[in-house]
Amino acid sequence: MDYENLLVEREGAVAVITLNRPKVLNALSPALIAELTQALDAFDSDPLVGAAVLTGGPKVFAAGADIADMADRTPVEQVQRDQTGRWSKVTSFGKPLIAAVNGYALGGGCELALMCDLIIAGDSARFGQPEINLGIVPGAGGTQRWPRTAGKYVAMEVNLGGQPIKAQRAYQLGLVNRVVPAEVTIRVAVQLAQQLAAKAPLAARLAKEAVNQSLELPLKEGLAAERKNFYFLFATEDQKEGMHAFLEKRQAEFKGR
Amino acid sequence: MSERTETQAVLEYEVKDGVAWLRLNRPEKRNAVNAELRAALAEAVRRAERDSQARVVVLIGSGEAFCAGADVVEFQEGASAAERIRGEYESILLGLHEMPKPTIAALNGVAAGIGMSMALCCDLRYAISSAYLREAFVHIGLTVDGGASWLLPRLIGAGKALELMYTGDDLPAEEAERLGLINRILPADHLESYVADLAARLATGPTQALAAMKRSVNHAASTTLEEAIDFEFLLQGVMMESDQFRQRVRAFVERRR
Repeated sequence: MDYENLLVEREGAVAVITLNRPKVLNALSPALIAELTQALDAFDSDPLVGAAVLTGGPKVFAAGADIADMADRTPVEQVQRDQTGRWSKVTSFGKPLIAAVNGYALGGGCELALMCDLIIAGDSARFGQPEINLGIVPGAGGTQRWPRTAGKYVAMEVNLGGQPIKAQRAYQLGLVNRVVPAEVTIRVAVQLAQQLAAKAPLAARLAKEAVNQSLELPLKEGLAAERKNFYFLFATEDQKEGMHAFLEKRQAEFKGR
Repeated sequence: MSERTETQAVLEYEVKDGVAWLRLNRPEKRNAVNAELRAALAEAVRRAERDSQARVVVLIGSGEAFCAGADVVEFQEGASAAERIRGEYESILLGLHEMPKPTIAALNGVAAGIGMSMALCCDLRYAISSAYLREAFVHIGLTVDGGASWLLPRLIGAGKALELMYTGDDLPAEEAERLGLINRILPADHLESYVADLAARLATGPTQALAAMKRSVNHAASTTLEEAIDFEFLLQGVMMESDQFRQRVRAFVERRR
């Protein structure tokens, strides 16, 4: 598949998706998001892919949406284009999705990173929601995912103040899993993705789904869903393989069945 | 060897043998920082960071003093002045502390207040025996600035740092050397030549490795040992792929044969 706004590669069981509009700091145009959704859909149903990395390359993750494209839009046009609604498909990707963030992840770029399952940040990374400086608010989860990640007070600071926060602070806030030298961000993310891709695929899918549900369900329902997943997985070949390999002190070979 | 000299009214910027010399040049005011010098310093630090001919940066004063502090005349403007000058000081202090090349303060005389802070922000400090440092703020009923609260305890411990702040007493070069604050004391007529030799030597060193050492030390200031080891390991991995590393290892091995 050829993409105009993305570079897509495979490294073993890991798909690496690079936002590729460097001239505009990877501004997230509707066309780019459409391609991203398409790429993720393809990898979701590809049994050879176990995890994916989403990055903007060595310099910048994504510095937001296309302001020039939005400046003179009407509300009706925005609804018709459903500009940010389409992004939610990124969160329905069923396999582990790791953001590898170097430089700015601002506005939509930050929201895109927050939609991923884990975030590896280069020491140059900056996360922020500068929408307030343009007289708008985030439209793809900025006001909703920040408080769920970093708490209400940090979310207020970021959404009301419009100033980006640095990688190390993001790490201390629990937004970022690991801060690494910017030169190796993508490589570290790919290595981590490879580790995750080697796990039992069905278990990974259900674990991801359950963790995401935990942010929305009452604890009782979340625990019930988790318990069903736990019992269900005893119906899989991978559970048998995983447990027997453990007992036989050998590496498990999972098949996704 | 590229040589460039530029004399501005209050600050000289000269590149010689791969070393950028930033010379504070208000000797009649003991190089006190006024608005003009502050702006010139901020610009010179930015320039030194970008200057590919400058692989090491030296900060030094002309005349009898390194820098006697801020021009107190400006303090009389009150809090509004503080807000205005903050951005420029941040550029100078963080610039020296974070730029990916060695920075050296050559203390040819007193370093007080912001002058002391600038010296603390450098990686290395050399002084003549009659030089001294002073946290002068207490004398005008003010608390410290320029990052002294962060930098000084890290270099000499909180007890010593607070003693200097509370009393505002002079810290003679000799005692500063004993505390590890000054790397070495030199005879007055040798300071510049010693620093020039050392800086020139660092300028021919493995640039990338020196920058990485500084980056690791800075990163470690806000991390755990485990995270610091991780960061070092990753940076070393980047370095091992460089031609510089391969050439030096080859040369090292050949020398031993």
